[in-house]
Amino acid sequence: MRAGKPVARASDLPARVRNEATIVLGQRKLLQRLVPGLMHAFIFWGFLVLFPTIFMAIVGIVDREPSLPSGSPLGWLESQGWYALMVDAFVVLVLAGVATAFWIRKVQRPPRFDGSHLREADLILVLIVGIVTTLVLWHASLIALGLNPWPADWSPVSDAVSNIFGTGTTTDVLERFFVWAHVLLVLGFLAYLPHSKHLHIATAAINVFFGSTRARGRLEPLDFEAEDEAALRFGAGTVADLTWKQMLDSMSCTECGRCQDVCPAYATGKALSPKLLIMGIRDHLLAEGPTALAGGELSALVPNAVTDDVVWDCVTCGACVHECPVSIEHVDHIVDLRRHLVMVESRLPAETETMLRDVERGSNPWGKPQTERASWAEGLGVRILEPGDPAPEVLYWVGCAAAFDERARTAAISTTKLLLAAGIDVGILGPRESCTGDPARRAGNEYVFQSFAQANVTTLNDASVTKIVASCPHCFNTLANEYPDFGGRYEVLHHSELLAELVRDGRLSPAAGDTTITYHDSCYLARHNDVLEAPRELVSRIGKPLEMARSGKQTFCCGAGGAHMWMEERGSQINEERAREAAATGAETLAVACPFCTVMLDDGVRQTGGTMRVADVSTLLAEAIAHGETDSESG
Amino acid sequence: MRILVCVKRVPLTGGKIVLTEDAQAIETRHLGFTISPHEECGVEEAVRLIEASGGESVVLTLGPPEAVEQLRDAMALGIDRAVHLVSDVEEWDPQATAGAIVEAIRADEAANGPFDLVFFGNESADAGNYQVGIRVAYALGRPVVTGLKGVAVEGDVVRCEQEVSGGRDVYVLPLPAVVTVLEGLNLPRYPSVPAKLRAQRKPVEASSPTRPSSKLEKVRLVVPEGQGKEAVILGHGPEAAPAVVEMLQQIGVV
Amino acid sequence: MVLVYVEEPSELGQQALAFARELGGPVHAFTADVTAPVEGVETLYVAEGDAFASYAPAAIAQALVELVERLSPAAVVAAGTERGNEVLAHVAAKLDLPFSANCVAATTGDPFLVTRVRWGGSLLEEAHLHGNVKLLTVQPHVVAAEERAGEPAVERFTPALSEADLVVRVVERVPAAAGGVSLAEAKVVVSCGRGAGSPEGFGIIEELAGLLGGAVGCSRAVTMAGWRPHTDQVGQTGTKIAPDIYIACGISGATQHMAGCKGAKAILAVNTDPEAPILASADYAAIGDLHEVVPAISAEIRKAQAQKAGRG
Repeated sequence: MRAGKPVARASDLPARVRNEATIVLGQRKLLQRLVPGLMHAFIFWGFLVLFPTIFMAIVGIVDREPSLPSGSPLGWLESQGWYALMVDAFVVLVLAGVATAFWIRKVQRPPRFDGSHLREADLILVLIVGIVTTLVLWHASLIALGLNPWPADWSPVSDAVSNIFGTGTTTDVLERFFVWAHVLLVLGFLAYLPHSKHLHIATAAINVFFGSTRARGRLEPLDFEAEDEAALRFGAGTVADLTWKQMLDSMSCTECGRCQDVCPAYATGKALSPKLLIMGIRDHLLAEGPTALAGGELSALVPNAVTDDVVWDCVTCGACVHECPVSIEHVDHIVDLRRHLVMVESRLPAETETMLRDVERGSNPWGKPQTERASWAEGLGVRILEPGDPAPEVLYWVGCAAAFDERARTAAISTTKLLLAAGIDVGILGPRESCTGDPARRAGNEYVFQSFAQANVTTLNDASVTKIVASCPHCFNTLANEYPDFGGRYEVLHHSELLAELVRDGRLSPAAGDTTITYHDSCYLARHNDVLEAPRELVSRIGKPLEMARSGKQTFCCGAGGAHMWMEERGSQINEERAREAAATGAETLAVACPFCTVMLDDGVRQTGGTMRVADVSTLLAEAIAHGETDSESG
Repeated sequence: MRILVCVKRVPLTGGKIVLTEDAQAIETRHLGFTISPHEECGVEEAVRLIEASGGESVVLTLGPPEAVEQLRDAMALGIDRAVHLVSDVEEWDPQATAGAIVEAIRADEAANGPFDLVFFGNESADAGNYQVGIRVAYALGRPVVTGLKGVAVEGDVVRCEQEVSGGRDVYVLPLPAVVTVLEGLNLPRYPSVPAKLRAQRKPVEASSPTRPSSKLEKVRLVVPEGQGKEAVILGHGPEAAPAVVEMLQQIGVV
Repeated sequence: MVLVYVEEPSELGQQALAFARELGGPVHAFTADVTAPVEGVETLYVAEGDAFASYAPAAIAQALVELVERLSPAAVVAAGTERGNEVLAHVAAKLDLPFSANCVAATTGDPFLVTRVRWGGSLLEEAHLHGNVKLLTVQPHVVAAEERAGEPAVERFTPALSEADLVVRVVERVPAAAGGVSLAEAKVVVSCGRGAGSPEGFGIIEELAGLLGGAVGCSRAVTMAGWRPHTDQVGQTGTKIAPDIYIACGISGATQHMAGCKGAKAILAVNTDPEAPILASADYAAIGDLHEVVPAISAEIRKAQAQKAGRG
């Protein structure tokens, strides 16, 4: 980690303490899955409780008589009945935890452990059993010998076990044996720790502390202003390019595979497993770390630590990051690997190159004529802002997809009509709007992203825009979370949020309907930006909502994120998987709130032979309002 | 070896073309700009040749001040330095363009030695005059071959290939020579960011030649009728076939 | 008088002649191809000599220069093909005259007022063409060719050529590798979406492409279904094409697909749905089931080709 590049992770202390308290002490992320979560929590909490007994045992080796001065905190603690009770209780819970762990690993064998070091984990579990068993046996033998400083009836387990021991020399010897065995096992455990994935016991807490406290959808910007030749290296090419946080990430990985379990790329048979990605980086780091410190020649991370396919399979949906109990930031690793491949090596999939060229030259990822950006808005009566025009109350940031894609345009038209109907003073930038740079950034071309970010911020600031509504969650995320890094600070709403507000305020009155609707959460809305309720509010106002198995923050990507909208998908299709899941709800309509989800899932439904209608929430709302009006007219 | 590539800055059209009020130019307010596609392949080819043989590659443009962006783009692909003949807003006719380029080439060659190869695009994407490269070749007294999809330097000759129906026609020219190339000659590389940043620091020699009067004198531009119109329905069902074939004959593919 | 350079016996040469006749005055023709049958002109000048055994643009241009100096025509006209433009540009460079490529119309006078194409036809330019001899080429397929009978007087001559005129010449013709036309370079692309119904459904598409000497393309849905290889896919994530005509059968026109064919000079959509998005980008449309329309077009092309063969 001394070789790591700097990254600012010192600010936001209260947030870091809070994360430490909930994620580490509270085991919040682990408890997202009940059984394995409790398993781990028992062992973890057990170790916190049992920690002082290590010192008690070391003292016990020197002198078996209760020799700790009762005035010392350790001696005081050892003499407390309630502590003895806790020790016994947690010994049982730890053993229960270990048993569960063995059951999960040996009987249940979930696929998330594919590729993990299983033998190592088994050894650790055996060590834990040994440590707590010897502890109980030591305590029991002490009770048998009458040397316990705590009241024996407060420790029911040890007390019960003590019945197997006599009071003679055998017990005397056994007591020596147990305390030595206990201490040696503990020391053995500590010695083995740095060589195993259980280093996470040491690193995880630190990693969580230094985890990102910024918006989840935000990526770290790079600096292109530096003048010297050595600074003309971007992203992660070798281990020397990793930030210290990325190194700590790799060292904190417990190989638990929760990330792999939720990864849409992995689920559809791609090369990427977020777990193996982090393990690959760790192994490469351990192999080349000394060379890096000595300033020697380093081999490339791609394809030596991970292959090109792995790097390009990621849809940046963030499910892995959301799931990770030790706050590893997989997406940042992927993007940094892409940054190096794209910006330094010019090594990228042909389709991605086409997309990037189209963004660079044509200001949108399809290379459509910029002059036709507002052609969808013809006849709607929405203001197309020219330089010098008064700022609108709300600027509608349309996004390239809704501006150019036939299927996505419907949402732009519906949204505009609804905002105008609600009496909102709304304007669009028309041909002056450019790609936000999101696909370029997620594809690894930070340079292109920044040039677009700067240009768009200038346009928005010159137009005195203060409030933006975006219908594309990717634009929304970039505008809200990433443009502040470039001097663009606006109140940014997703169209579902603004529309829900207008419905709540009675400025839009949709008719209730009977259609069953299942809502698909966009990753960049739900997981990256916590927009969960607004679209559901709309859905429940206009139809009968049905939830999919994976929804909310556990949503499953449509397959288009991370610049995959413009990439060829190998193997089975993420969108088909999601379309099947949606169909399983039996809903008639699949509501979405993202233009990419619209296109991907519409394709997915067709490819799987489904009949479900895929429509943006704004389109469904507009129809419900049109119905409402006809109803009231006919009524 | 020394190689010169002449490029032109052109807007990226694609939608309905809109003209400026005086009908003298395309309204480019919302358009991006690029190196004319044929010439971009010329740039790539020059870079590859110099990478293989060593020497110097130079890019030259006659264009407005903003055309320096295209010179930087060419240098990001690997061209060593740039010459910018800064023009006013008026369009230069092909003879005037060729004249200015010839003068610039002579000046550069006087200082740095002769160019073994001079690349042009077969025709510019916007004006499509098909003649600047040939005029420059005559003025310099060098052989010229056009419309190439293959350029290979073999000792002191260049083997040139032209795609024609039924195969490829081959020409072998002694160096120094002028060649005009077509898109598809190669696939221009995707420039790296360090290369782009380095290109920002490479030298650009700028001068402002005076425009002579035009002999192919633009009066005005006209957007042809039919642009942006609805599709012409040629018919319904199999009955549409005769109209379709008539259209195909007009286009010249039947 | 107007002198027309006729490259080879072709429809385009006839179009150039028709354009020249419109300019008024007697029309003479020049060719370096001894087989070019030119009718309906006063005199046909035929350049002879070893120099013309294979294509040598500077030599042809020098022959034209010799004729121009001898005959002082008001204009020299050629078809706006690659070689027509090349030869006239050589003439222009040799005589230091302006030259206007790819004209669609011309009004005589001094200067000529010409209308020429820019941007491959997306834009027209009206321009004054100066010079004591007006050099121009004719944009293909904007002027109707007309059959004009009448044996011309034929004058064969051997132009005086310098060594420099002989340096650039075709020394070899490498035949095209067998295996059809590549999608990216094809002048005609015929493609089909899932409407083909099955891999076998592409039979009629292949037939039409074959008749037009074109390549077969397909939509993403087709490659996803495994009916065609990915190399056939037209689109953002497939091949970007730039044919003279793109015939899209049963293709709805998703943005991903249209990004791949925006380089097409013209698009013909064959679609059952007159509201399909592709109609917004297409130049021509035939509304109907591709399984009926496509074979009908193929049959009609066969008929047209048979007629032409019969006439020739």
